[in-house]
Amino acid sequence: MSEANTSETAAVSIHHLSKSFDDVEVLRDVELEVKTGEVVTIIGSSGSGKSTLLRCINWLEKPDRGSIHIAGQRIGVHEDGRPMPVRELAKVRAQTGMVFQGFNLWPHLNVLHNVTEAPIHVQGKSKREAEELATALLEKVGMSQKHDSYPNTLSGGQKQRVAIARALAMQPEVMLFDEPTSALDPELVGEVLAVIKDLSAEGYTMVMVTHEMAFARAVSDQVVFLEKGLIIERADPETFFTTPKTDRVRKFLENHDTPSSA
Amino acid sequence: MNASAWHMLLEGAWTTVWISAVSIAIGVVAGLVIALIRLARIPIVDQLLVLYTSVARATPLVTLALFIFLSAPDLGLDLNRSVAGILALTLNTTAFNAEIWRSAFRNFSREQSEAAMATGMTPWVTFRRIMLPQMVITSLPGLVNEMSFLIKGSPAIAVIGIVDLTRVTNRISAVTYEPLPPILVAGVLYMAIIGCLVWLQRLAERRANRLAM
Amino acid sequence: MSNWDILWDERAQFLSGFLSTLEIFGLSIVGAFVIGCGLLYLLEGSRKRLTMPLRIFIDAMRMLPFLILAYLLYYGLPSIGIRLDAWWSGVGALAVYHGCYFAEIFRGNRLTFPPGQIEAAQAHGFTKGKLFFRLLLPQIIMQTRPLLGNQLIYALKDTAFLVIITVSELTAAANSLSSTYFIPTEAFIVVIGFYWAISVAMEIIIKQCGRFSAKRGFDNV
Repeated sequence: MSEANTSETAAVSIHHLSKSFDDVEVLRDVELEVKTGEVVTIIGSSGSGKSTLLRCINWLEKPDRGSIHIAGQRIGVHEDGRPMPVRELAKVRAQTGMVFQGFNLWPHLNVLHNVTEAPIHVQGKSKREAEELATALLEKVGMSQKHDSYPNTLSGGQKQRVAIARALAMQPEVMLFDEPTSALDPELVGEVLAVIKDLSAEGYTMVMVTHEMAFARAVSDQVVFLEKGLIIERADPETFFTTPKTDRVRKFLENHDTPSSA
Repeated sequence: MNASAWHMLLEGAWTTVWISAVSIAIGVVAGLVIALIRLARIPIVDQLLVLYTSVARATPLVTLALFIFLSAPDLGLDLNRSVAGILALTLNTTAFNAEIWRSAFRNFSREQSEAAMATGMTPWVTFRRIMLPQMVITSLPGLVNEMSFLIKGSPAIAVIGIVDLTRVTNRISAVTYEPLPPILVAGVLYMAIIGCLVWLQRLAERRANRLAM
Repeated sequence: MSNWDILWDERAQFLSGFLSTLEIFGLSIVGAFVIGCGLLYLLEGSRKRLTMPLRIFIDAMRMLPFLILAYLLYYGLPSIGIRLDAWWSGVGALAVYHGCYFAEIFRGNRLTFPPGQIEAAQAHGFTKGKLFFRLLLPQIIMQTRPLLGNQLIYALKDTAFLVIITVSELTAAANSLSSTYFIPTEAFIVVIGFYWAISVAMEIIIKQCGRFSAKRGFDNV
């Protein structure tokens, strides 16, 4: 991608983002640019603000200062500072897909309808069109046998794969993953990571908060390290994991299972 | 008991059923509306609704039915018996239903609506497609239970001269001089009606368990 | 003279209605409580021949309107030679009807009672009666307090049904005053105020009782 038009084609661009919760600064002047097709992993200890950063991108948290653009479009407020009406905000949000730590599937809908709900009621797709798309996506995440099951009958790994299909169904510009494997039993982590890895190979744009270091190293194009709301290091995964610049990151990596190779 | 006594009993049962059904239908919706208004926490309105709930829950249905029927002319309203009866039952059941809906709201998880917002649903679509269906499912067992209570309270409307399933037994025994049989038959009919509701409540509970993730 | 002045002059009638309702309510809930405890005790026995009919009786009561039971006692019983006056029919019906509800509340809680405690008591040589009255009943009552409180309010409301079988109580007082002076609105507002006051007072008392059980580690609110 040529240097000149990066800001034109950036899937997400974040400038001067700051956010406090009751006097505690969770994000401090964060700058981040995610190019189309790029996978960015956000790493940091708990309380470093990484989930908040992710949740600001689709305005589930309102930042105090700064701007966020999704595919060139400002989210949350207009360029002149007017707050965005809810309908417009919803439209920009629809450009992002989010996968939550706790899955948050809708328990009153079966697997198929969890995936078709937003395409039908947000994008106005026909039922048939939405179901065709959902069928294809559920196949992609390996859940095609479970169309009629309700969420309470699924394992955590299965729930998360359905949640990924649900987010993909909106054909978003960028996928946001908020610790997608943290709530899973260890033996179920692999099946979810495999799905995400496939997506990265297919060229999906993704921003991900994770504690899975080996995985981050394998799939990322860019790794960002957040500490007390500040980005203190960013690099390609090879550099980040082998020759970190700061002591803080070195210590962090020592305390986590540092991957030997990608 | 002769054929005409049976006929009268069934008519009484029908009166009980339709008046209760109308009150239930209005009461379920009105309860939801009140729960929604209370969510908005509008000053004064909120306090008034708290007062209404508290008084309505403490007022006997007989007293309420008499109050409405007798004082309606004072307030310049011309209510017939059926309307007064429905109004009394509705005012009572709405207060209970509002509390059932409110607790469903309070227990609704924020993550559920966040997941909906994240897919680009507007607050209204989120409410209609994600919140409301789940709240209906979780509230249904409580609402059906309250319906049984309404049927059990419905004989109160006899006090303003409506000939319901309870009152009709007086009419029959006034002719036959045998009060016991019609009362027993009425009891069995009530048990049949409420038995259906109890069965419905079990079904509703089983469905609600599906939401327990 | 305003309508409210008329009501003030007739305060004696309200007061006697109020006291009559309190008397009926007090007597019948004591009866209901005793019946509820008695039914629970009988259900403790493992003989199916006794427990089955009791369960059916309790469930039947819970599927009937209170007024039907009152009719049965007041209008129905004379057919088989038992004659009760309106007042005793009413109190009896209230006691039996709500006794069954109490029994059901107790039974529901009994199902979750930890068996270890009972085994411990048996190991200490408790007899069946001692075990029930010293161990089971007090704990079950403390745990079901909020449900019992709700049931008391239902019982209070059911006392008004007795006006239909000609018992003179609080609602009857309002009814007779409103037809004597044609002031239904004011008369019934006063009476509804009375009912409200009783149930608010009852809620406060039930909550206060909560302190007693909270001290013993029963933390239900």
